[in-house]
Amino acid sequence: MALEVSHVVGGYSQIPVLKDISFDVRDGELVGLIGLNGAGKSTTINHVIGLLTPHKGTITLNGVTIDQDSQAYKQQIAYIPETPVLYQELTLREHLEMTMMAYDLDQEQAWKTAHELLKIFRLDNKLDWFPANFSKGMKQKVMIVCAFLTQAKLYIIDEPFLGLDPLAVNDLLNLIEQRKKTGASILMSTHVLDTAQRYCDRFVLLHDGQVKTEGTLSELQAALPEAGESLNDIYLSMTKVDRA
Amino acid sequence: MTDLFKSRLQRHLREMAKYLRLVFNDFFVFALMFLLGGLGYGYSNVLKQLKMGLWWAPVIVVLVLLVTLQVGRFATLIEDADRVFLLPKERAMHAYLVAARRYSQGLAQTTQVIVVFLLAPFLRVALGWSVPQIVGLLVAQVILKDTLLRLDLASAYQVTGQRRMNEWPIKWGLGLVALAIGVWLTPYAAIVLAVLADGAVAVWLQRHWQQQQIRWREQIKIEDNRMLGIYRFFDLFTEVPMVEGTIKRRHYLDWLFKSIKPTHRQTYTYLFSRGMVRGTDFSGLVVRLTVIGMLLLYFVRGEWLPVLLAALFIYLIGFQLLPFFQQYDDVVFTHIYPIAPELRLKSFEHLVTLILGVAALLMWIIIVVANLSVTTAGIALVVELIEVWYLARVYTPRRLARAMKNKA
Repeated sequence: MALEVSHVVGGYSQIPVLKDISFDVRDGELVGLIGLNGAGKSTTINHVIGLLTPHKGTITLNGVTIDQDSQAYKQQIAYIPETPVLYQELTLREHLEMTMMAYDLDQEQAWKTAHELLKIFRLDNKLDWFPANFSKGMKQKVMIVCAFLTQAKLYIIDEPFLGLDPLAVNDLLNLIEQRKKTGASILMSTHVLDTAQRYCDRFVLLHDGQVKTEGTLSELQAALPEAGESLNDIYLSMTKVDRA
Repeated sequence: MTDLFKSRLQRHLREMAKYLRLVFNDFFVFALMFLLGGLGYGYSNVLKQLKMGLWWAPVIVVLVLLVTLQVGRFATLIEDADRVFLLPKERAMHAYLVAARRYSQGLAQTTQVIVVFLLAPFLRVALGWSVPQIVGLLVAQVILKDTLLRLDLASAYQVTGQRRMNEWPIKWGLGLVALAIGVWLTPYAAIVLAVLADGAVAVWLQRHWQQQQIRWREQIKIEDNRMLGIYRFFDLFTEVPMVEGTIKRRHYLDWLFKSIKPTHRQTYTYLFSRGMVRGTDFSGLVVRLTVIGMLLLYFVRGEWLPVLLAALFIYLIGFQLLPFFQQYDDVVFTHIYPIAPELRLKSFEHLVTLILGVAALLMWIIIVVANLSVTTAGIALVVELIEVWYLARVYTPRRLARAMKNKA
């Protein structure tokens, strides 16, 4: 059990956005976090990466909570934000180097991985560029390269498919597949449901700060038999229940 | 559309008023009065010694008027979102732009009138001009400025390809020709020329604007630059949030980072050092304070005064550096990296020690050179060392640790 979120109540202020949320992500598993705008996906992610502290409940990552040992906890996580954020004063090369330093990676080994990743995302000739010169998609690729540079146990990817070109989306999915084989887990939030349906092992459907349903596609289909076949149909029916 | 400009103008003026109150504080007004008084006195002395027939007198007049002519830009108050929201209203924008030009006239023409007014005694004494001649020159100058603003308005439209009507050779060339004729021949000829130019641009614009698209992106950029210039000026006096520091690569300073080994403990030293050197905000502040301190110290003599002054400047630099610690708080990775907060604080302490140390050393050298006294040099050295140590190693970490705790 890599990540275990249990009975988390939390949010940005005293008013909770998340109302008693529980789910888990197992080793070597890609879990899709699905929900409408404002359903609580980003809030959940912010709790998992430790930017927010839960009011109630616990988040455990391979047996460690952030309060027990924040370094050991953070060491296991790599995060790709929805909107890329970079240090304006650092070049691409320096971002990579900084990531290696922060995660205490072996420089030689890490640079080897880095060059492979840079090649995949066609950034290998832009090592001395500043973030200001990158387009949004390129910045997102920089985030991906930095995240996959670390040998994290849990990758948290917030809406990766918007803004990336189709080639990069494909490369990212390959990378995810590759890391899953080595036992890493991935928690990914997205609105691109048909891609999610094809690649995710399990789904957590968030609605209004609560976990509506959770499970593999066939489990979801069994739970909501009248909803339809695809993830898209299930998702739509789930939101309709609430609207009615 | 004219209403839109009016409401924007009101907001703009309120904002300017807010900053101007801060700029013209008592101290600054006092200094300004002294400065103006001094300049006025100097000018009147120069006038007393002037004779007629100096070859350079008309050259000065032309140059001053030519430069003045460029003062007072076309203030459109166009915003970035306009190219989306006002795009369907493109034709109606003409009324907006005309209103903007009318507003821009105010400050621009006031400047022209003041400068010609100030030049009037010089024209009388050095060129022997009569009052009607001077008034003629004033009229020519005002019409010329009107022409230039009309050119700016015309250039808001996409005319012929990439060429713009308000490119600087046109603006300066037109002014130069008209003013040269006005000063060396007769100001009345300059009036005729200016009226012809103004009329020509007006007729052209009237004929063409309906068929042309507005250069949205360019106009937005021009307006942004204009506002940035204003904010930069205000930033000299007070904090202006709109002025963001720029980033310069500064290749030639890369040797500074050589000693920072890429190890886990040094992660923040790596970031802070590069941020400090390549960002212009904080590095500019440090350099400015150090240079001002050094200049003052060169002229101040005494046993204790230089020591106190140096101590004050070191304190100022150290104090201003504190917010740099939070510079990267809005980059999410600052919180996600598995780095102990103590290491970040240590790195910052290190940086502050280094910066204050270098600033203190530079100021100490000036103290030694200026005073040539062993006592002063000795006292200064001891005081500076203790101060740098205290600020960097005791005060800074204590303050920042408290700030971090309050946040958590």
